[in-house]
Amino acid sequence: MKASEPAIKISELTRRYGKQEAVHNLSLTVRAGCCYGFFGRNGAGKTTTIKCLLNLLQPQSGSVRVFGLDPNRDEVAVKSRLSYVPDAVAFYPWMTVRETLEYFASFREHWNRDIENDLLKRFGLNLTQKASSMSKGQKTQLALITAVCPEPDLLVLDEPTSGLDPIVRREFIETVIGAYQSSDPEKRTVFVSTHLISEFEGLIDEFTVIEQGRNLLTMVADDARDRFKKISVRFQAAPPAPLTFAGALQIKQNGREAEILANGNSEKLMAELQSYHPEDLRCESLSLEEIFVASKTLTQSIA
Amino acid sequence: MLFQIDFKAGKPVYLQLVDQVRYAAASGTLRPNEPLPSIRPLAEELRVNRNTIAKAYAELESQGVIETIPGKGCFLKENNTPFSKSVREKLLLTEIDEAVVTAHHLQVDREKFLEMVKERLDYFESKSTNSADGNSSKTTPRRTE
Repeated sequence: MKASEPAIKISELTRRYGKQEAVHNLSLTVRAGCCYGFFGRNGAGKTTTIKCLLNLLQPQSGSVRVFGLDPNRDEVAVKSRLSYVPDAVAFYPWMTVRETLEYFASFREHWNRDIENDLLKRFGLNLTQKASSMSKGQKTQLALITAVCPEPDLLVLDEPTSGLDPIVRREFIETVIGAYQSSDPEKRTVFVSTHLISEFEGLIDEFTVIEQGRNLLTMVADDARDRFKKISVRFQAAPPAPLTFAGALQIKQNGREAEILANGNSEKLMAELQSYHPEDLRCESLSLEEIFVASKTLTQSIA
Repeated sequence: MLFQIDFKAGKPVYLQLVDQVRYAAASGTLRPNEPLPSIRPLAEELRVNRNTIAKAYAELESQGVIETIPGKGCFLKENNTPFSKSVREKLLLTEIDEAVVTAHHLQVDREKFLEMVKERLDYFESKSTNSADGNSSKTTPRRTE
């Protein structure tokens, strides 16, 4: 693999279920070593896209490349270099934790026992417990161990933390950061689909918002936070007419107070607002979650 | 040292870390030759990407604030910045401009602003606990512990 080879390259992917189009003309590229967020509402097409990466579904048009390979043609080569944690994990119910781990390890060329022991201890899993008697959180923890121990180049996470309690979620993310990236962090790529965006905020380098199967917005997280800002202002007296500012994405006004969404022109807006001599004027970045929620408004104004 | 990050600050996370290390160095919270937290535990604790921490440390290293000793970690350097005086002053200028703009937004007038600057200078000088820091500060450093 060339150093510049993207971990994932999706080009104009389309996939229908019957007449229902789940993914339409979706393109995105994930650099190797990057943590990529894939955000969308329920039914937006996230899982369908991920299934195409894993050859669980085939594209009807367009192409999917993982490490430059076609998952359909080179399925083994692709799968030997990635791990996948689905939203609902299922293990053979009769197997114990130990047996499950051995079973998974038997498919892998490489299995890091140190990480395994470390995570077993950290999660407090009982090696002799059967999968059938484990809670959802414990199953997800076990799935994460099976995903991280092979130290794959790509970790695909599909809604990994939904339905977990806050402590398990926190441990999950710490594990992805710590154990998964423990060696060669430049080579460890994470592709995570989620709608619990705030939890992954610090991890995400770049993200795509998908809506009705279409790529709505793709941005580098720092650029997005730099570009989309929320300005809160309180005037000394209510302005006589409703506020209008060229370049403001959205203005919410309530008496003397207003909240303005800025798209890359916050400094100009701040200067303009300053001329009103407001009592209070503040500017903060939108979080990725707020950007996701507002992404429809944001992209309409960009278009 | 302890870090605090804010995704809403409008400043890239790695730069927030850079600022905080520089602040800690200036205020004496972090002393020369003291180690910075290593990347992995810090990334886990702050729940940010390891690359972000690595980027911050690389930036600090290129600014001459810290040095990396292979196999040992990152350490705060003795206070000898490699920048020339004019470059250092220029770097400071952008920071001052930022503060001036903020003061304007918050309607802090000139006198009050200057007064606050003096107050902060006094504060840092009184807090500085390092006598070996090449600074020409005339105040006698006091140990605060």
